Amino acid sequence: MKEKAYHSIHITRDKCIGCVHCLTACPTKAIRIKDGKALIIDELCIDCGECLRACPYDAVHSHTTSFAALDAFEYKVAIPSTVLYGQFGGTTLPTEILAALRRIGFDEVYDLSSICELNNAATEEYLNDHPRPRPFITSTCPVVVRLIQRRYPALCGQILPIEPPREIAAKILRTILPKALNLAPEKIGIIHLTPCSAKMVSIDSPATLHKSYIDGAISIRDIYPQIFNALRKSEEDALMRHLFPETQFSGIGMGWSLAGGETRGLKHHRAVAVSGVRDTMRVLDQVEAGLLQDIDLLECTVCPDGCVGGPLEVENRFLAKSRILQLVDAVGERAVVDPKDASRLYHRNFLSFDHPVVPVDSHPLDADPARAIRKAQRREKIFAKLPRKDCGACGAPDCWTLADDIVRGQAHIEDCPFVNKEKP
Amino acid sequence: MPAEDVFSQEFPVKGGDFSKAGAVACRIKDLLKDMGLDTKIIRRAAIASYEAEMNVIMYAWEGRMSLAVSPEEVQIIVDDQGPGIADIEKALTEGYSTATPEMRELGFGAGMGLPNIKRNSDVFHIDSQTGRGTHLEIIIRTNGHRT
Repeated sequence: MKEKAYHSIHITRDKCIGCVHCLTACPTKAIRIKDGKALIIDELCIDCGECLRACPYDAVHSHTTSFAALDAFEYKVAIPSTVLYGQFGGTTLPTEILAALRRIGFDEVYDLSSICELNNAATEEYLNDHPRPRPFITSTCPVVVRLIQRRYPALCGQILPIEPPREIAAKILRTILPKALNLAPEKIGIIHLTPCSAKMVSIDSPATLHKSYIDGAISIRDIYPQIFNALRKSEEDALMRHLFPETQFSGIGMGWSLAGGETRGLKHHRAVAVSGVRDTMRVLDQVEAGLLQDIDLLECTVCPDGCVGGPLEVENRFLAKSRILQLVDAVGERAVVDPKDASRLYHRNFLSFDHPVVPVDSHPLDADPARAIRKAQRREKIFAKLPRKDCGACGAPDCWTLADDIVRGQAHIEDCPFVNKEKP
Repeated sequence: MPAEDVFSQEFPVKGGDFSKAGAVACRIKDLLKDMGLDTKIIRRAAIASYEAEMNVIMYAWEGRMSLAVSPEEVQIIVDDQGPGIADIEKALTEGYSTATPEMRELGFGAGMGLPNIKRNSDVFHIDSQTGRGTHLEIIIRTNGHRT
């Protein structure tokens, strides 16, 4: 298990000018400026994409699947995040968007809102069956899972072990499509379309599955122009599709990408929804201190306002949110999943994790307890000498992190321009 | 035990300052993580120090929390100037609380504070003088053996 940590977030060195925007934006303090360029510390990065949002020079790149890479598959299936429905203004309906995806080259396209409803039903059943511990935490946001593994290891056991909708959908399709199409499973490509900078990480190194059921993730930003053009060319077609919608969208699932959307459908449990990476950390701190035990389910998504605030979307999140709320209103309370089907799959463990979430190596000052204690003492003494301006000029995000780097042997006190000056 | 193998630090806690609630407990938790303590030990220390911090914020005028970490144990001492606890035995009963209705409205005062601290510590010692303050001392052993 000592393989190198995989990340989707990378710095494009040619574009990086070594400023401090990403440095201070990183919630886990995983970035340093070394030799004038930003450098990500693998063990600390959770692929949240905050640096990508903060960089004014487009020097942070999130690895996703390219559209051209799909040629490797004989049969291409798209499972777009419901965020996609909020990306095209006006009166563009989800059915039209799904049809546009077919026109640009996907052989089949499946809506995820029904699977969101399925996940919701399974979550409710799991909470009924497991009165403890409280609160359980949802696993839809891959960054939250990675954050808990690294920063809140004690909470790994509180992650509710039902796979998120994208994996459940892909698993169902993997089960039925090879037989239905009479094709070898590896010839069928199941592709998620996403606004998320971390989906590739959860696909390439899943935290709860032996292997992801998804073959790739295309960013909404990359595929947007093609969909946009396909929509523009087919207004007549769109009119017809308004009259004969071929997909039944789920009312519960439609708002899944908005903060609170994952828990909105729970009937018998108390839920709290948190969004934004810093607020998520604040609440996880409280859960680790034993609070929120009167809450059954805690939904955490690190993007502001939920997945709809993902860094790889196109529409600004307020417009996207408003559009999705309109759709939620239009679909109403419509349920498309038979509770008996949901229950059957749940009891067959078809929706469960392959294995529980396990902590990832923590990052103590030293493996030896006595030495770690001495380093912690030294760190306090070094910190006392630093100016506490948190300017980032040394290459660390703040004075405390510089002190930490120094005792870990990765920086020198001379890196601080203020300490230097004050010396005679 | 050689003194250089003990990390110690003090944190002031201001009574009535709910906006900072949990800040010291969180700091203690981060320090223990950096010192590489076992996850279960850190969780117990986090819960105990949070409850202790809240007790000062809710009931006392001001207080001080001291953390001392050695390879063998985590010691947390809380001294406050405040009304003190009239009946410690009662205060250690689960569900007993002197919290005001306003505090309960905010979700505090379930009467689990002291019992929760005791449950999560290996050594628990409390002293209080009414009208003066409370002295609380807890130890959590890093080898997980309770006495």
